[in-house]
Formats: sequence, structure tokens, C-alpha cells
Amino acid sequence: MRDSDDELEAELRRLAARREPVPAPLHQAAVDAFSWRDIDAEIAELVYDSLLDADAASLVRGPADQRMVSFAVGGMTIDLEVTSAGPGRTVMGQIVPPQPATVDIRHPQETVTVEADDLGRFRSGPLPPGPASLRLRPPPGAAGPAIVTDWVAL
Amino acid sequence: MAVDPDDTGQLVRGAAGGDEVAWRGLVDRFSGLVWAVARAHRLGDSDAADVYQTTWLRLAEHIRRIDHPDRVGAWLATAARRECLQSLRAAGRVLPTDDMDRLDLTPLTGNPTEETVLAAEQEREDADRAALVWRALDRLSARCRELLRVLMASPPPSYAEVAAALGLPLGSIGPTRARCLQRLREEVAGITGGASSSN
Repeated sequence: MRDSDDELEAELRRLAARREPVPAPLHQAAVDAFSWRDIDAEIAELVYDSLLDADAASLVRGPADQRMVSFAVGGMTIDLEVTSAGPGRTVMGQIVPPQPATVDIRHPQETVTVEADDLGRFRSGPLPPGPASLRLRPPPGAAGPAIVTDWVAL
Repeated sequence: MAVDPDDTGQLVRGAAGGDEVAWRGLVDRFSGLVWAVARAHRLGDSDAADVYQTTWLRLAEHIRRIDHPDRVGAWLATAARRECLQSLRAAGRVLPTDDMDRLDLTPLTGNPTEETVLAAEQEREDADRAALVWRALDRLSARCRELLRVLMASPPPSYAEVAAALGLPLGSIGPTRARCLQRLREEVAGITGGASSSN
């Protein structure tokens, strides 16, 4: 059956290529993803996502349409509370340990910049759904590398 | 700079060094796989697009710290799978595995008559066959459908990449593939025969 299995698989592959090819704009978006790298920044990796990591009970107890996401690098964590309202997303953030920063909320279509206050708190306006990543820059005059978070789909 | 498009390790190292051509080579090589993973999880168009794009953005950011450059396909498949599960959770529509998709059992058409078969052009036959196989695919168990949908990626993924895409043990891919292709044949035969599948 091995040969006929290979033939059937090849037929399926041709079928998928014709029926569900990668949309050209998406392929281009993948090519363009390369230009979003920030090679001087440190990466804060995704360490918690309530959608994946919370147990079923806390999902049931937790507020609807609210998602908690955490990133960590070195001794710093960035906690986000993502609220969905219809198609829009709002992000409330907390930098730990608390510190001011300029926060670029990066989205393939645009970048929105907000300021984290002295307690490390920041808040976005309505954002479109889709991939997003934060870049934290030290406030003017302060030293330290920029930090970018992993990309997550909001 | 001559980068061998078949050597994924070399593509990763090239892209890590800032080579845009190498990055493009990676996209060309694994675009179909990432898309197939999203499609295998039955996401809607915009969710599938988000999974696809987020996965590539994440790789771009991590490209300089990939532990096993030659296994970047499995890295992408794992990342895409995680995004798919997150997307399904967000939409609150994680389906129990298996047998949720066997509800549409309407026969495709009756048996074609000899006359219509003779009259049909090759192109038409191909289209019919394609529709038939596509339909049969939809009637498989969730496990089989997901496996085959990932295997159908162009260019063909490795078993390690398929395993990563579905969270399955590597050793199970070969036997499951053989079983699922056989089930697909039976579904195709069942539809064309107008009979219910043998199960």
C-alpha cells in the first residue's frame, strides 16, 4: 500500500494547493515580518496566557472577555490585562518592578505609543484585533536596552 | 551570497545574520506548513490569518536564538499549534475530539450513468474527483482530518513537523497516516457507492 498511499497523499496535496492556497497578502506579510525585528532589544518571552494556562475552573470564575498575559525577561515582568469589546481590544499593563517607560504597542498596521507612569502602569485606547507586541523604552535620560515582548494575537 | 534553499539550518543562520533572501527562503519553505496547521484546526479565515501572521512575526523576533536551526519547521509548527489552541479557546469553541464532523452524511450524487461518464470531459472528472475527495476528508474523524490536512502542506512536511503541529508522538505519525489514508479511501468509496461507510 505504500506506493498508493504516497499517490493519494500527493493527490491531497495538489487539492489543498488548489483549494486553499496561502493567500498572497499573507505570504507577503510573512516576508514583511522580518522588518519588525528589533535586533538591539531584549526579548520578554510569553510566560503565561490565561487562555492556555489557566485551568478550566478559573476560566469559568474569571471575568468574561478578559485575558491575562505575562511576559518576562531578566528580573522584569510585564503583565497585561486584555479586554475585548466587540472587535476592539483594550490593554491595561503593569511593569514589575514598577518603573516608568515609553511603551510602543506594535501592530502590523500601526504602532501606538503610550507612557507607563512612575508605578509602571499603562493603558491603551481601542486596538484592532490581530498580532501585537510591546516595545518598552526607558524614559528619556534613563539608561538600559529596549525590551520587546513576544508577539501574541490579541 | 549562495544560500541553499533546501538547507533550512543555513536559511535560519542566514536570516539570523540579517539576510533577507534567506528569510524569504524560510517563508517559501514553511509558509504552506504554517497555513496548513491553521487550516487543520478549522479556524475561520481571519483567525487563521492571525495565527499565520503571529507565528511568522514570532519567528522573526526569535530568529537569532533558535536552538536547532535545522528543526525550525517543527519550531514553527509548534508555535502555530499553540496559536491555534489559543484562538480556539478565545472563541470558546474547542470541540471534543472525534466524530463531531460526521453529521453531514448526505450522499454527494447518485451513481453516474454510463452515458454521463462517457460525456464528461477530463476536466470535469477531475473537478468531481476533487470535490469528492474534499468531501470525504470532511467526513473523517477529527484526528484523521487534522493529520491529513497538515500532511497536505506544500512542500511536504517531515513527520517531525507533523508531530509538532498536532502535539502527537513522532512514532505515531506513520501508522496513523496509513490508517487515515485507508479511511479516506473507504469514505470515497462509500460516497461514490451511495452506501454508508463501512466504519
